[in-house]
Amino acid sequence: MTQQVLNAIFIGSIYALFAVGYTLVFGVLDVLNLAHSAVFMLGAVITYSLVALHGMPFLPAAIIAILVCGLLGLLIEFVALRPLRRRNAPPISALISTIGLALIFVAIVEQATPGTLFGWLWQDGANSVRFPAGTVPNPTYHLAGLTIEGTKLGILITSVVLMLVLGYVIRYTQIGRALRAVAENRRAATLLGINVDRIFASTLFLSSALGGLAGLLFGLAISDIGPYIGRDQVELKGLAVIVLGGMGSIPGAVLGGYLLGLIEVLAFVRFGSNVEAGVAFAALFLVLVLRPQGLFGARLRERL
Amino acid sequence: MDFFVQLFTNPVGFYNQHELLIAQIGINAILAIAIFVTFYSGQLTLANAGFMAIGAYTTVIMSLYLPTPLPLNMLAGALLAGLVSVVVGLPVLRLRGVFLAIATIGFVEALRLGVILNVPITGEGQGLHNPTADPLGGILPILISLPVLAYLVWRLTKSRLGQAWSAIREDELAASSNGINVPLYKMIAFIISAVLAGYAGALETHINFFVDPTEYGITRTIQILTFAVVGGTTNVFGPIVGAVFLTALPEIVRQFASYRDVVNGVILILVIIFRPQGIVGRGGLAIIRPRWWIRWRARGRTAAAH
Amino acid sequence: MGALLQLTDVRRHFGGVQAVDGVSLEVEEGTIFGLIGPNGAGKTTLVNLVTGYIRSQSGSIRLTSSGGTAELARRPPHAIAGLGIARTFQTLRLYRNLTATENVLIGMHLRRRDDTLQQLLPLRPLMRLSDRRLGEARTLLQTVGLNPDLHGDRRASTLSYGDQRRLEVARALALKPKLLILDEPAAGMNPAEKDRVRELIQKLNADGLTVLLIDHDMRLVMGVCQRIVVLNFGRKIADGPPATVSNDPAVVTAYLGSHAPESASHVPGSEEMDVAIPSKPAASTEPASPLLEVRDLEVSYGAIKAVRGVSFGVGKGEIVALIGANGAGKSTILNTLSGVLRPHSGIARFGDLDLTTAAPDKIVRAGLAQVPEGREILARLTVRENLELGGWARRDRGAAHREIGNLMKQFPILGQRQNLPAGQLSGGEQQILAIARGLLARPRLLLLDEPSLGLAPQMVDAVFEIIQRIHNEGVTILLVEQNALRALEIADRAYVVETGRILLSGTGAALRRNPEVQKAYLGG
Repeated sequence: MTQQVLNAIFIGSIYALFAVGYTLVFGVLDVLNLAHSAVFMLGAVITYSLVALHGMPFLPAAIIAILVCGLLGLLIEFVALRPLRRRNAPPISALISTIGLALIFVAIVEQATPGTLFGWLWQDGANSVRFPAGTVPNPTYHLAGLTIEGTKLGILITSVVLMLVLGYVIRYTQIGRALRAVAENRRAATLLGINVDRIFASTLFLSSALGGLAGLLFGLAISDIGPYIGRDQVELKGLAVIVLGGMGSIPGAVLGGYLLGLIEVLAFVRFGSNVEAGVAFAALFLVLVLRPQGLFGARLRERL
Repeated sequence: MDFFVQLFTNPVGFYNQHELLIAQIGINAILAIAIFVTFYSGQLTLANAGFMAIGAYTTVIMSLYLPTPLPLNMLAGALLAGLVSVVVGLPVLRLRGVFLAIATIGFVEALRLGVILNVPITGEGQGLHNPTADPLGGILPILISLPVLAYLVWRLTKSRLGQAWSAIREDELAASSNGINVPLYKMIAFIISAVLAGYAGALETHINFFVDPTEYGITRTIQILTFAVVGGTTNVFGPIVGAVFLTALPEIVRQFASYRDVVNGVILILVIIFRPQGIVGRGGLAIIRPRWWIRWRARGRTAAAH
Repeated sequence: MGALLQLTDVRRHFGGVQAVDGVSLEVEEGTIFGLIGPNGAGKTTLVNLVTGYIRSQSGSIRLTSSGGTAELARRPPHAIAGLGIARTFQTLRLYRNLTATENVLIGMHLRRRDDTLQQLLPLRPLMRLSDRRLGEARTLLQTVGLNPDLHGDRRASTLSYGDQRRLEVARALALKPKLLILDEPAAGMNPAEKDRVRELIQKLNADGLTVLLIDHDMRLVMGVCQRIVVLNFGRKIADGPPATVSNDPAVVTAYLGSHAPESASHVPGSEEMDVAIPSKPAASTEPASPLLEVRDLEVSYGAIKAVRGVSFGVGKGEIVALIGANGAGKSTILNTLSGVLRPHSGIARFGDLDLTTAAPDKIVRAGLAQVPEGREILARLTVRENLELGGWARRDRGAAHREIGNLMKQFPILGQRQNLPAGQLSGGEQQILAIARGLLARPRLLLLDEPSLGLAPQMVDAVFEIIQRIHNEGVTILLVEQNALRALEIADRAYVVETGRILLSGTGAALRRNPEVQKAYLGG
């Protein structure tokens, strides 16, 4: 059981990291970026491709992948979001245009085989792959009867550190204040001389970089890598997480991530794997209906 | 291009060769009508794949275990979807915009992963073998249902009910000041949409040998949404055109078939940015509807009013 | 004739703000009843309480008609409409993408039987009812002065502003109401259009309709209403026939604002400071080389022209005031200067900067800052964070920090509450914060939009004293104010804006004596 809880914390870290990016965009832009899960997938795919197809060491590959994902965030902003903002389109439109981008990203990977247009990026079509053994050292520790894999521990440390840094930046720096100002009142922020468009672009970059990082960590330690890992593993669960934590709240997303990890593990232990898959959505549905502001108290409800 | 050449030179051969495609177009068009109804009342609900699953499973399970005739089973499937929609709609329809969309997606996945995969009677992950499947005979009911349903919904949008929906879509607050019971009319739209989706699900089982739980997830939901957005939701023909267009496209342009989702994604983004009213939106109709027709209609209406 | 609508001690607060504070009133059947009061007085809240959009927290709202008496306080809006109360909205709420005729047809919703089955077989002989409805819709359009042939098939959003207002009345009339509530039906209209609104209201009343009219325009209200209730800060301050109400000193004060008290009162939350008010040279003419120059500015929202050819200038070191009633276009002018709105045509220059094309952040960086209407402080950020963001556009962070320290000394209330969320400050404290935040951008020109809006009288004094003080420190100010007399007291020059045009201009002192100003406000 303790081992299971430990696993819940590892998977919860991924959920939290993914959901923080998701919720950041919702909090600042008031838009649900459904391409986020595709960026998550690309984070894993690009890292894999650099390591396995182009023979790069893991660390530089990961950094490049994270940066590329950040750039994809800018692509999302410029292609799918900004034109709609210019037209004052309803927020639902952005939901749909990001779905369009997600379809494209996933299909590109899914159709890539050796010799095709994107053969340099991915060669396995719809199949799943693993990182070659020994990509990163993965010592296994035994502690009080628990087994801890090095990579999973790495995930935990990376995500906690990153989320603390993010929390600090948003709480205590001028950029963070500007981010919160734009999230709360776009007009007031504009009148203060804040370039709202630039804040939006930075938000997308940051959010997507975090999403890509979450993806590559996921592929490194938790699961196989394939074109559908975003859509099937985290897209809707990420939604459940940010709904649990209150849409747009970063601390909420972090707590929600770990909470979902825990709920899933409990459901698995108690009822088996079939129930585990559905429990996230039942939670999502119930929270939206009963407590649309999220599970946590007033202090956490404050966005960002 | 062979596609069109054959369509016009050899329609019988075309029909025989593309039966399954035609059936799928019909199903998708009915699903498009289903999502249109909620769109028309200003709600982005993404629960249709779930209601489809209810219609499909009910039909097949009844065929497996009860001696009832197939049409009755299909009807029961559609009605059960409607019944479930009341239960789901009561709490969910209070939500708006993105939250409504998310909650309905949550419903779809909770139904699929939580219920269908865990109840033995649905065959769980294996799905169900359909004893009454009849891929060729199944096309006819689809081809009859589509125009009938399209006509009914089209007339519905012209009725008092439909006008109340337009009002709610345009401005809920103003609608209630005009005495429109907003929650009630939203619920009616949601139920009608669910029944239509359930019926489409039931029809679809008829042409498939198999009911597969993976068919009724988020992918399907997004596909249905795409029909409505690309076609446009100013009137019922928009989503139908969208469904026909997007379902047939990969067949028409074979080179695109494998990059079908890329093409769909590009179309979706282009439409939402440059033509938010959809292919058949306001202004789009002007191409199809000649000027004299508009003038003639206007004169008829003026004459009627005097 | 008895009371059709009766309100008894109705209350509603939002957070700490008493929006409607124990109002009782009676609307007699068959009369035109006026509800007036300055901006933020609670008029629209009261209407929303009556029509069920907002729940009242105590008190009763009764509608008495031939069908008996009904308590409205707990009913949903559509049920209240069903009892025969129709309304229009202050901010237009038409079905923008539907045609004018469709808008009116939807208004008939409650009188229309469900015709779903009939619509399934749309044969001519079966459609007589719907033809009759169409005929009635045309009549209603004509009643409000729209031409059914010309306007009937046009989408509502493409109609002119005045026509949209009229269409909203037609849609409300389609309910065949017992009581028609008109929320600012003449806002933003020119005098000729206002006359047509007046005629329409009188005609409807002559046909037996009871009308509850809310408007800022005293001329209109005084002209048509038999009885008037005046609200201020959520309370009833006067009730009676027009002649009595318009001479009531409380009403005049509420509308024109009070003069500054003889002895400058102590500013709550600020250090006692000797404010010497220097006698200013009467610069009645426009400055030769203005810091801000505006020529023939025109701004529209869709079909609605909010600013129609406005020209003025602000010289270095001046306080210039734009005064005028609500909806005159004053805030639109300021928002255009800040780059938030784009003008349709005209020139707006700030030094070398073309304000009609420059991005909002460039404008702030160039030294033009705005303290917006409603203050728009960032409620979830702390007071200190609000101030720090005030210096966003500056490069010298160190200096900005020192200035924050100074401001906190100057306004100790900000220092004491620096770590509280700004949303917890009172209205007046928020206004001080907003002004301080504006100053931190170190503006060469500060735009102040309605700094006294919604503030209690002592707070108004305090805010004006602060404005005076920062002006003495060398900041040029463009002030938009409804509290005309107070604004004119401190302004070097002022412009009276009405329906998007400049009506009068001159020195503050001269305008204060000008009877035209009083007339523009009170319709005397």
